[in-house]
Amino acid sequence: METFVQSIVSGLLTGSLYAMIGVGLTVIFGVMRIINMAHGDMVMFGMYGAFLSITFLKIDPFLSILIWIPLAFFIGVFIYRFLLKNIVPAGELNTLLYTAGLSLFIANLVLLIATGDYRTIKLKYAIMPLRPFGISVPIPLAIAFGMAILITIALYWFLVRTDTGRAIRATSQEPEAAALMGVNVDRTAIITFALGTALACSAGVLLAPSLYLYPTVGEILVAKCFVIVVLGGLGSVPGAIAGGVLLGVVESLGAVYVSVPYKDAIGFVIFLLVLLFRPSGLFGVGKS
Amino acid sequence: MRKIVIVLAILLLFAAPWIVSAPFFIHLMIMVLMWTVLGASWNILGGFTGQVSFGHATFLGAGAYTTMILYLKLGIAPWYGIPIGGLVAALIALPIGFICFRLRGPYFALSTLAVAEIIRLVALNWESFTNGPVGLLITTLPEVTFGGKSIDWENKIPFYYIIAVIALAAIVATYIMSRTRLGAYSLAIREDIDSAEAIGINTVQTRVAALSLSAFFAGVAGGFYAMYFRYIDPDAVFSIALSVEMVFIAVVGGLTTVAGPLIGAIVLVTFGETFRQIFLVGHLIFYGLMMMIVIRYLPEGIWGKLRLWFVTRH
Repeated sequence: METFVQSIVSGLLTGSLYAMIGVGLTVIFGVMRIINMAHGDMVMFGMYGAFLSITFLKIDPFLSILIWIPLAFFIGVFIYRFLLKNIVPAGELNTLLYTAGLSLFIANLVLLIATGDYRTIKLKYAIMPLRPFGISVPIPLAIAFGMAILITIALYWFLVRTDTGRAIRATSQEPEAAALMGVNVDRTAIITFALGTALACSAGVLLAPSLYLYPTVGEILVAKCFVIVVLGGLGSVPGAIAGGVLLGVVESLGAVYVSVPYKDAIGFVIFLLVLLFRPSGLFGVGKS
Repeated sequence: MRKIVIVLAILLLFAAPWIVSAPFFIHLMIMVLMWTVLGASWNILGGFTGQVSFGHATFLGAGAYTTMILYLKLGIAPWYGIPIGGLVAALIALPIGFICFRLRGPYFALSTLAVAEIIRLVALNWESFTNGPVGLLITTLPEVTFGGKSIDWENKIPFYYIIAVIALAAIVATYIMSRTRLGAYSLAIREDIDSAEAIGINTVQTRVAALSLSAFFAGVAGGFYAMYFRYIDPDAVFSIALSVEMVFIAVVGGLTTVAGPLIGAIVLVTFGETFRQIFLVGHLIFYGLMMMIVIRYLPEGIWGKLRLWFVTRH
């Protein structure tokens, strides 16, 4: 019983971060129909950002998120405005290939600058895990979990309550109708892409103290992202949150009850089953 | 004129080791030809039927492991193992095709990525069969006599001729495909799958056939990979990066063209391998950059554009 609770808890902790990455990917897909293969590399940016902050600036990684969120937002604006904007009209497959190129470019650029060494971030206050009710909770993951929830709530408020948020949701539902209603679709697209990038990057900052850092970490993360957003239905924000948490829990239960080496495969098997039998996602809200 | 160019190109292909014999150039040409086969393999599916696969490393890995395991466990020489590896890859492609082709466009691409990752994890963990992350190693290749002399496997030139023949076969297969019903059906599917279905083309069967043919060549190239490098492990032959590299070579060279994969391989592999000699890591940076430039400015690929230019000029 204790192992069961333990694995549910660890699953929820990582799941909250998966959810953040997935939400970024899903809003981008919803508004622009871009399947962004470079999304994982944005997470990698965040991870290296956290690493740079603690090594060179001596700023705690969790505080450094205040620097990296706006920076990532501007990187997103730049990437969309100067690289992606002209590709989007060429169709989903061309953007898929283009972002795959972008992903390889970014990952290898970082590989050249930072080399392929595995790096870790050590925090002074994170040596011993917390032990509420006999369950072990690593401190960095607990902080990351709290911040992920705060960011997700803030994002939700933004999407539901503000005009820009409403414009994003409208464009995602029906771009032409949104344009007719006076939504500036171009501007919405830029903001959405930048927002998605900022989310991925901040998830990277939060994940950095709990994972190994290496330049091609984005490759595996982006594959997980796809699992998450397809589970929840492509284009759906609540779906991506649920999908992220679900994947986290499934992986951690799988590691305990199925086998550690196959824990990553479980996610992909579920992914294939969902794609084949419920292509609009587990909750039936996504679009194909 | 065209025939003369083709004959000259084939002559050049087989005479190349005598023209430049520096080991690095031979190695470079072997890599270019191996990637030509892989690019051609991807082009048969991605170029003709328009189905973007991000999981072709599965077939390369299947061919490589078949060749290796047949040699190490049963003593079957790699030159038999390589075609058998191709056939095994083509067989594996059948169930994968019937499952993944139920999905369209980007969803198909994502499903192939998932299948490839599952297979990589199986290869990594099925230790009794694949030796897991430790990988498989060949120390010596069996002795063969060719024209009365025994072949020196420490020299790279025999490998060059083997891969040259395979690459020629892959290019000829692409040419034949472009002239047959399978090619025409595939193009119809690429242009509009619903219309293709409406005029009575069995779209699932056609796509599975194209995938299987494509997988055969990827498997053959995988078998060659195993024999040439004499060492394979799951992360070397089943990685996402390999699948992505194949896509890039085919797209940069020019989709649906016969010579595109060769041109793509010449451009990307030459730069990549030279870059690797100098900087050791990050040689794929150029692949990413070329992909972005090609999709943005030359959607028909380098060879596709050149060919158009020739056609409009003459």
